[in-house]
Amino acid sequence: MGNQRLKSLLCATALVAVAGNAAAGEFDGVTLQAKLIGGQQYEALYARIGEWEEKTGAKVDVISKKNHFELDKEFKSDLAAGTLGWCVGSNHSSFASQYPSLYTDLTPFLTADFIAEYVPSNIAASKIGDALVMLPRAQFDVSALYYLKSVYEDDDNKAAYKAKTGRDLAPPDTWDEYKEQAIFFTDAPNFYGTQYAGKDEAIVGRFYELVIAEGGQLFNDDWSPAFNSDAGKRALKWFVDLYEAGAVPPGTTSYLWDDLGQGFASGTIALNLDWPGWAGFFNGEDSSKAAGNVGVKVQPAGTAGVRTGWSGHHGFSVTESCDNKEAAASLVAWLTNEDSQKLESSAGPLPTRTAVWGHVVSSAEGDAYRTEVLKAFQAAASHAFPAPQTPYWIEATNLIYPELQAAILGDKSIDDALSDASEAVDEMMQENGVY
Amino acid sequence: MSRFRPPPWFVLLLPAIIILSAVVLIPLLLSLYSSFTPYRLTRPETLYKWIGTYNYEKAIESAHFWAAFGRTILLLTIALNLEMLMGLGLALLVNKVTYGQRTLRTVMMFPMMFSPILVGFQFKFIFNDNVGLVNNALQSLGLSNVAIPWLVDGQLAFFSILVAEMWSSTSVFAILILAGLFAVPRDPIEAAKVDGCTPWQSFRHITLPYIMPFIYIALAIRSLDVARAYDIVQIMTNGGPARRTELLWTLIGRTGYVDAKMGYANAMGYISIFLAIFFTIYFFRKLNAARSELGMAG
Repeated sequence: MGNQRLKSLLCATALVAVAGNAAAGEFDGVTLQAKLIGGQQYEALYARIGEWEEKTGAKVDVISKKNHFELDKEFKSDLAAGTLGWCVGSNHSSFASQYPSLYTDLTPFLTADFIAEYVPSNIAASKIGDALVMLPRAQFDVSALYYLKSVYEDDDNKAAYKAKTGRDLAPPDTWDEYKEQAIFFTDAPNFYGTQYAGKDEAIVGRFYELVIAEGGQLFNDDWSPAFNSDAGKRALKWFVDLYEAGAVPPGTTSYLWDDLGQGFASGTIALNLDWPGWAGFFNGEDSSKAAGNVGVKVQPAGTAGVRTGWSGHHGFSVTESCDNKEAAASLVAWLTNEDSQKLESSAGPLPTRTAVWGHVVSSAEGDAYRTEVLKAFQAAASHAFPAPQTPYWIEATNLIYPELQAAILGDKSIDDALSDASEAVDEMMQENGVY
Repeated sequence: MSRFRPPPWFVLLLPAIIILSAVVLIPLLLSLYSSFTPYRLTRPETLYKWIGTYNYEKAIESAHFWAAFGRTILLLTIALNLEMLMGLGLALLVNKVTYGQRTLRTVMMFPMMFSPILVGFQFKFIFNDNVGLVNNALQSLGLSNVAIPWLVDGQLAFFSILVAEMWSSTSVFAILILAGLFAVPRDPIEAAKVDGCTPWQSFRHITLPYIMPFIYIALAIRSLDVARAYDIVQIMTNGGPARRTELLWTLIGRTGYVDAKMGYANAMGYISIFLAIFFTIYFFRKLNAARSELGMAG
């Protein structure tokens, strides 16, 4: 039988099998080994593996359950040692690009209609080149704008802002307006207009999305640095201006996500770009002084008219070396199908399927805050894009962030900081043989 | 036919040789070898590519490396001197106590019982600009009406790290010097009193020479500690912001484990080891000189 005919036969079988619904007994006797992310919040979904086993007759043997950082190390040692006998692995959009040869393209095993049921930006972020290396589960992260409603309802603020700018005071829709309002609201050291993550990957991620919103790119197509541009300079200026104006806490350059979350919950920060996981915490009577006073809105846009949207999501992948890819693809589709995503998103995480978005928004009816949060994040999700898909992303962030900090703290000019960062990233990429 | 019989000294030393080879010698040689390769943790095949002294040249030409090197020496010098002076003062005070001295000695050792990671977290909170203890105290007492960026300003961050280091380790000096004070013979001090020496003169010319060997031992131990300072700094500032508090080991740790460039990190590590070797030799020479002054040189 010709190779082509074999391929079409396999695909035809697979297409029947997949599309998220498993056919009875079709994988009798098959055992799939899986390495999955472990943790309380991820466990509910794994109960559905049993249902898939019953329906298909296959067996799933979970041989590893760890957090993503540990799984990442395990995948790398599997690649080094060639121990790739397992079939299904948890994946994450921020890690996926580090192992381009590990996972297979899922497109031949799924129908186009089935793929179209996912949010397009999530599917785009699940690809390496044209290969769909994972199917996204309902664990999606993108940042939207949280703000204190009271500062916008205050009559003195309204009048003063109108007098100062000639515009009505409303939550910002552009990053320039955001900066202007943050400076306007600041009453240091008791109250700050905003704050931002100031170190490690966190600040580079924020810088990255602002560069995109300003119409630029962090990297060129050949992965040479592209951020030493006008867009890059405008993006960095945003951070520098806020710091110079004292509109952010002076320690913001050492803040990471927890510090930011606690900061906004202390009720002393007016505007905060943050992740969906904080929504409940910010409005919780026991956890937050801002409870009852929190508004949520889609993230602002840069001068290019593009909204920020650095995002990440969890997914499941099938290894290239798996000897039963159809069964593995069927399991992966099952774990991310509509019912699975409804189950997982009922506990709070954001879905990655369009129909499930509709479901979670309608099931939040009657809870005004939850509805506002979901609508804002649904809008936010439509602008999402993943971290740059290079295995050297983290190494690049370690070279970029000290330079961003140097500009923010006034040790270097914006031009010098970006030029030094760009030079360092260029050298690193060349050293790694990227170009 | 005679069977080969290894000499008894070799057989007796064999367990020690095997253990030392396994846990020290082989890893040391392997890391030395890897410093001549572009070894990346994520790409094991890079361990077999020889690149000569490229990593060493890169480190020697790197301004960031030398800045971290200089900062580490500065921290070492200031921390050791201040800890020594404070430890000496503390030991002299505790030595005067006649009631409850044992309890005091135990209390003095409390900071040494904390993991440096926890000390880092504790001082990170204390010096936090927004919710930290120091700023809140200063603002409540009306001494300041601004949020002082303790962990952001280069000099203040250095000072904050210094305070954390001193809090956790001054007692090392105090305990060792106290042990030295217990060993000072009473006769020469009483003879000095009879001869009309002032307390300062008897301290300077009798007590101090006797405790100098103990001070040098403490200095040697702590110099190795500070030269490899990592945990407290990693937690408090992670070498930042903008590399303002970058020390050798925060730089090397990040290069090796976060960037996965273990070959380059090892090369920097080997250059840095000279720092530790230099201080150790220096303090041991001083120790021997102090001992020979007391007629104890062997």
